[in-house]
Amino acid sequence: MDQDFQIEQRAGSTPPVVTVRGEIDVATAPQLRECLHNVIAQGEGSIVLDLLGVTFLDSTALGVLVGALKRCRESGGELYVVVADPRIVKIFEITGLTSVFTIVDSLESVGAA
Amino acid sequence: MTETTDRLESGDRIELKFPARGDLIVLARLVTSAISARAGFDIEELEDLRLAVGELCLLTLQGSDAQHGDLHLELNVLGDAIEVVCTLERAGVATVPEPEAEEGARLSEQILDALVDEHGRESRDGSARAWLRKRRGGHAE
Repeated sequence: MDQDFQIEQRAGSTPPVVTVRGEIDVATAPQLRECLHNVIAQGEGSIVLDLLGVTFLDSTALGVLVGALKRCRESGGELYVVVADPRIVKIFEITGLTSVFTIVDSLESVGAA
Repeated sequence: MTETTDRLESGDRIELKFPARGDLIVLARLVTSAISARAGFDIEELEDLRLAVGELCLLTLQGSDAQHGDLHLELNVLGDAIEVVCTLERAGVATVPEPEAEEGARLSEQILDALVDEHGRESRDGSARAWLRKRRGGHAE
């Protein structure tokens, strides 16, 4: 069911860029959680999370992002969320998370192009 | 003028039942999209319903031992509205609570508040039930 879900970490970029494509829901969110935890465990303070290719995102995914944000900030870093699709931005807006996350609409905005 | 024959009318009901597994909730979203389109909802409302029904399923599963249950989804076309009822059947109580479940439920409730006109949930006789109702052109936000 999650054949369209892809997640990858771009090698050599600082801060590290994690790119996700497809649908992030209760079935795929654990893969995202594991990936972000691994990146944080490598000692990276900040992460750029590229969600430009994400077509669906639910509360489970938001919970994973909130958890990763807390871990990043505990280590003095930040989780930058890159999102441009109005449908995805809307989910952050209606849950009040636009004021919690640092949300940008392009990788260039965080110097990660 | 082309006559459409796939339109759903008030009183029509569609039911779907599947094992209560997270990876199958996508089925509920797909069916909701198809039914909502046939009930006359526009593309933005259809996207709202797709997300809302996924959250409805998550709320129904919360706190249960869903591995032993089924999710029963009932979609009712009621005039200019659609009502979706999600029931978890034959599941027990979860022995190990999910640490992120409470936060997830709070986010689910916020999403439903914003996207549909009415929603609610209840647990009774060992089964959990959640429902929503959304009108066409209602602009719940």
